[in-house]
Amino acid sequence: MARFPFIKVWLLGCSVVLSHVALAQQPDSARHQLRTVEIFGKPAEVYAAGSRVAQLDSSYLSTYASGSLAQALQARTPIYFKNYGVSGISSVAFRGTNASQTAVLWNGLNISSPTLGQADFSTIPVTSFGDVAVQFGAAGAAYGSGAIGGAVLLSSPKYTSKGLSATIQSEIGSFGRYFGNGSITYGSSKVQTSTGVYIGQAANNFKYKDLTQIQTPEARQENAAVAQHGITQDLTWQLAYNTKLALHGWYTFADREVQPAMGSAANNARMQDKNLRLMAELEHDSRWGQTEVKAAYFNDYLHYTNTSTNSVADISTYQLQAEQTYTHGKRWSLRGGVNLQHFSAESSGYAGEQTENRASAFALLRYDPSSRIKLSLNLRQAVVEGYNPKPAPALGFDWKFYNDNTNQLSLKGNVAGSYRIPTLNDRFWIGAGNPDLKPEQGWSYESGLRHLFILGNTLLLETELTAYQMLVDNWIQWFPDATGRWRPVNLFRVASKGVEAGTKATATIGEAKLSATAGYTYTSSEQVKVYEGSGDKGKQLMYVPHHKAILGADATYKGWSVLSNLNYTGLRYISNSESGYLEDFILLDLVLSKKLQLQKSQLILTLRSDNVTSATYHTMAYHAMPPRGYTFNIRFIIP
Amino acid sequence: MKKNSLFRSLLTAAVLSVISLSFTSCDNEDSGPSGAYAENGVFVVNEGNFGYPTSSLSYYNKGTQEVQNNIFKKENQDRPLGDVAQSMAFHGDRAFIVVNNSNKIEVVNRYTFKSEGVIEGLSGPRYFVALNGNKGYVTEWLPSNPDWSYNNGRVSVIDLNTFTVLKTIQVGLQPEKLLIAGGKVYVTNSGGSTITVISTVTDAIEKNISVTHGPNSLVLDKNNALWVLSSGFKNWQADPSTYSAAALTKIITTANEVTGTYTFPEVSAGASKLVQSGAKDALYYSYGGKVYRQPIASESLSHTMVIDKNFYGIGVDPETGYIYGGDANGFTGDGTVYVYNTEGTKVTEFRVGIAPNGFVFN
Repeated sequence: MARFPFIKVWLLGCSVVLSHVALAQQPDSARHQLRTVEIFGKPAEVYAAGSRVAQLDSSYLSTYASGSLAQALQARTPIYFKNYGVSGISSVAFRGTNASQTAVLWNGLNISSPTLGQADFSTIPVTSFGDVAVQFGAAGAAYGSGAIGGAVLLSSPKYTSKGLSATIQSEIGSFGRYFGNGSITYGSSKVQTSTGVYIGQAANNFKYKDLTQIQTPEARQENAAVAQHGITQDLTWQLAYNTKLALHGWYTFADREVQPAMGSAANNARMQDKNLRLMAELEHDSRWGQTEVKAAYFNDYLHYTNTSTNSVADISTYQLQAEQTYTHGKRWSLRGGVNLQHFSAESSGYAGEQTENRASAFALLRYDPSSRIKLSLNLRQAVVEGYNPKPAPALGFDWKFYNDNTNQLSLKGNVAGSYRIPTLNDRFWIGAGNPDLKPEQGWSYESGLRHLFILGNTLLLETELTAYQMLVDNWIQWFPDATGRWRPVNLFRVASKGVEAGTKATATIGEAKLSATAGYTYTSSEQVKVYEGSGDKGKQLMYVPHHKAILGADATYKGWSVLSNLNYTGLRYISNSESGYLEDFILLDLVLSKKLQLQKSQLILTLRSDNVTSATYHTMAYHAMPPRGYTFNIRFIIP
Repeated sequence: MKKNSLFRSLLTAAVLSVISLSFTSCDNEDSGPSGAYAENGVFVVNEGNFGYPTSSLSYYNKGTQEVQNNIFKKENQDRPLGDVAQSMAFHGDRAFIVVNNSNKIEVVNRYTFKSEGVIEGLSGPRYFVALNGNKGYVTEWLPSNPDWSYNNGRVSVIDLNTFTVLKTIQVGLQPEKLLIAGGKVYVTNSGGSTITVISTVTDAIEKNISVTHGPNSLVLDKNNALWVLSSGFKNWQADPSTYSAAALTKIITTANEVTGTYTFPEVSAGASKLVQSGAKDALYYSYGGKVYRQPIASESLSHTMVIDKNFYGIGVDPETGYIYGGDANGFTGDGTVYVYNTEGTKVTEFRVGIAPNGFVFN
């Protein structure tokens, strides 16, 4: 209960700082930029040459501003999401791994739940971050534990506007959906601050065919309502020409009824999540390079109840990360740093409060021997009491071997080691302790070709083809022992391999702007060694589709814009034995919007239809998903 | 107009009932059971994953050694069996499949596995036994409390003509397996330390017999003695020093008195899944994650380990004496059934559905 006053204090502090700065009216100084990024490209790629990174367009994200990160990524990336019904947890799976083998970072620090080791993407609204990048494979292990299959990198918006600006939007949709959010931003040469709030709810009382009843009668979905709200607060303050302070605050609240599977007993399951994330960031430039220090406090509260359970987990995480980046000329960049984490956890499943400390050190090197070749070499070593993982090295290259006026061809490659520390539940759950549990270790190899086709200002065609191979050893899963007691064990070694193809075209013809994106992935992920029980060697892991393809198209012309998403997901097995499966499905979403200019302000009206064909589909066995739905959104932007 | 349509529906109903009657009489003329699952075989109850309707039934034909999985779904228009199939019991031409987390009993023809109806409105049903073609009994746990503790469970009396609940009888904590002997229903209260005895005439409780803590399964031997297997007190939330040993209890059904308690040596080891041989002279059960055999003639605990393997379900073929063990494979993939001869030597194995927890022999 101490959390709410804490937010108030935080907000109060921010506004005090803001007014002080506004009054002082300090003279302009050039906005500070990260020199390393300026020279070496996208942040996620600087020290991960040759790895595959996908970034979602900001215009696309603004269309899905009222949705969850899961919705936005599902439609435009080949990642598979397991949605436990429309209101339940939404977990991500990269390259045939599982949700806990994906690192989710917010401004560079891991925000996965320390108890479950995974993040719930349905409680991350698109409004609450600025950019999202998706890094495939283990190259993300430079960020720490859990980046075995990939990493999702969220960052706060970069504010550049001066003066006051604001956005407000309101949305109404099928199945009792309402959403509203507003943000206000103020910027000067010294200080940038922004506050955003959102509130949303959905009854999710759609109709579906109950496949578990005789004659599959139509039923109305029950116990699937959701209510969410949250606030984000960012402040960056240029303390001196070479020193910048940033404060980020993010609070999300979600109260959800947990949708049961068809035919399962109604148990009135309900989940309340409260996540508070506070971070202070200090950047300082000197002749020794750039120094960056981040301090963060996270609180993750989860209250789960049903007719026979009442369980609470309340975890405080303290993180401190310090790093020094030294850039020599335009060819060398070296970054070294340490990360310290302290967890303090209370859970209904633990015997009293439990704590854990983790530390890790990393060294990242980027070297460009010529303008056509980029190389990176990383090493990270974590230290955790009882679970010391092996070092995680990574080596990558990117070689632009052909370049003329219109065509560029690059060959890329990356080899990386990764690890995952067992979760706090793995360690502290009463009666489940397994002293022999080892951290998961991963190895990934990938190589790809990238082609750029540029035709002046009219056409840009970007195509990438990647093949990868990955080994995940000591895969942790809860498994009953000989007495029937469930505890975490290192159950198997998994080999996954696949191909990812993606292309993106952007064309400008007169006043019309067209863009299209297409992607396809083939994934094979199977057990190759089983340490306990009989296992299912050589069979595709459950809920990993062999095939997923996406097709997206956007067109804008004179204030009108049309957007469409087509998503094909192949069949997925619902057990590791390839016996039962969920049928493949195709989802189509269409969006039409019109931008009206009202003097300097903009009014944007958007009509969206999700699941236009009313396809019946499941991402988790027998959890009904909504048929065709409509939403109408009105957004007002004061620049 | 309205009168006319009423007349038409009445006529349709009459015609349909005549047709169905004639079909029924055709069936009755057959000699012996017929159907896809009428042969010499064994049914495997696959529990499935809790929270998902992934339970299933498998049929192993002992003659052809062929396995058919998902037989319920196959015979019933692709309809899944439900969420956690706990057990199956036969009576007459019918099979009763208790689906725990779907709060129902699916009633099918035991030779064709085509649906005959669903008994709904139950709450955490576990095991079923039929007295005759008209009346049956099912144990129900009822939902647990938010701290995972339980209140008293109940036995519901089912009308097998209408598939409705006639009466509920409150029994002890977490009632598990039950059987009928001498016109009485014996119910194991696995969360406590009693056997509840219910009269099948009055459907009222006659007596509670005290046994070792945690009775979970029971059989009636060839001498009409009742053997009850108790797990002892075990609780993951409690200190292991408070645990108590498992035991076999022998009850004489004529007097409903305990005549012997055979306490197991290892306090921390649990015991469950009591079944018996076809001749009803040897008991088989799981103790400390292994399968043991105890002869009923023995006056003390003299059991021998038969199979050094932990099973999620155990069955003994009444015809061959072969021991069937179901391996749950961590609930993430299909389970495996291992078959052993009476010496404990493996004879065969076959893959079934998720989490095989029990066997019913044709």
